[in-house]
Amino acid sequence: MIWIVMITCGLFTFATRFVMFSDIAPRKLPAWLQDALAFVPVAVLTAIIVPAVIVAPDGGMALAGNARLPAALVAITVALVTRSVLATIATGLVALWCLDWLVY
Amino acid sequence: MSTSPSSSIPTRSREFWTGVRQELPLQLGVAPFGLVFGVLGVASGLTPLQTILLSSVVFGGASQVVFVQLWGGGVPAPIVGASVSVINLRHALYSASIAPYLRSLSLSWRIPLAYLLTDEAYAVTIHRLRNEPPSPHQHYHLLGTGLTLWVCWQITTVTGVMFGTTIPQSWSLGFAIPLTFIAIVAPTIRRRADLAACLTAGMISIAGQSLPWKSWIILAAIGGIAAGYLTHRHGAGKVDP
Repeated sequence: MIWIVMITCGLFTFATRFVMFSDIAPRKLPAWLQDALAFVPVAVLTAIIVPAVIVAPDGGMALAGNARLPAALVAITVALVTRSVLATIATGLVALWCLDWLVY
Repeated sequence: MSTSPSSSIPTRSREFWTGVRQELPLQLGVAPFGLVFGVLGVASGLTPLQTILLSSVVFGGASQVVFVQLWGGGVPAPIVGASVSVINLRHALYSASIAPYLRSLSLSWRIPLAYLLTDEAYAVTIHRLRNEPPSPHQHYHLLGTGLTLWVCWQITTVTGVMFGTTIPQSWSLGFAIPLTFIAIVAPTIRRRADLAACLTAGMISIAGQSLPWKSWIILAAIGGIAAGYLTHRHGAGKVDP
């Protein structure tokens, strides 16, 4: 079963990449679609980031006593300043370890 | 490959290796992501082979992360497929943007180049296509950027799968996934519409936690896209001057 889902996802993903390379594709995407698609990365990635930071394993919100929250804020600051993926991952993880060890 | 010093047309190999060289620095961001994906895939219950093949069958980082999280969480196949599909829709933008440069190529070129069209390969190659003079071999540049990322992604996935089980849980390495996405998203929020998309997606993702099948991922994605688009249409201004 998993193989069918994997291959379907693979074919669909390939189709999204190939769609405008095909001979029958229109010259341009409709303007509204182009505008809407521009928001896919920010919407999708935020939907993954936020629960990973503030949802507890039981499904509830975890604000107090959750070291991931301040660690994520540190990471956001580093990302805005350095724009470096490596620096963001490194400081975010180190911040999480330090907070876990020192405070929580 | 013959190189004539008097010719100003870049050779195939020169285009290819320029692409490789320009893509390499971005692997500093791709490599840790690939490693963490490999670790996460096995930790989510996929077999090592499934995790490794997902990296070549789908070849899209964020969507692979969602795939293993949903599949590992016992989410029904159609929801997994729909979530992965929404995440990967953005490729149509890259496809549209780069197509005018590749339309004259044969299908045997367009198919592999489409397969290799990722965020990072697109970003580097579109810069070359727009800013350097057109050349008959310019598609070799995309081959160079795309293959560089592909090779890096496969190697780091395999490495992550191999060492995933030896990494202690207390290292919280799974947290590297949201950190990677923070690094990608935070600098791209410039307009009010981006902020609207971000806040809406974030709020739906929290509010929808009790929904079945982790369907909050797809709902938050669609809600965020709609919020961003509507804000954009109603006159987007810059957040900061």
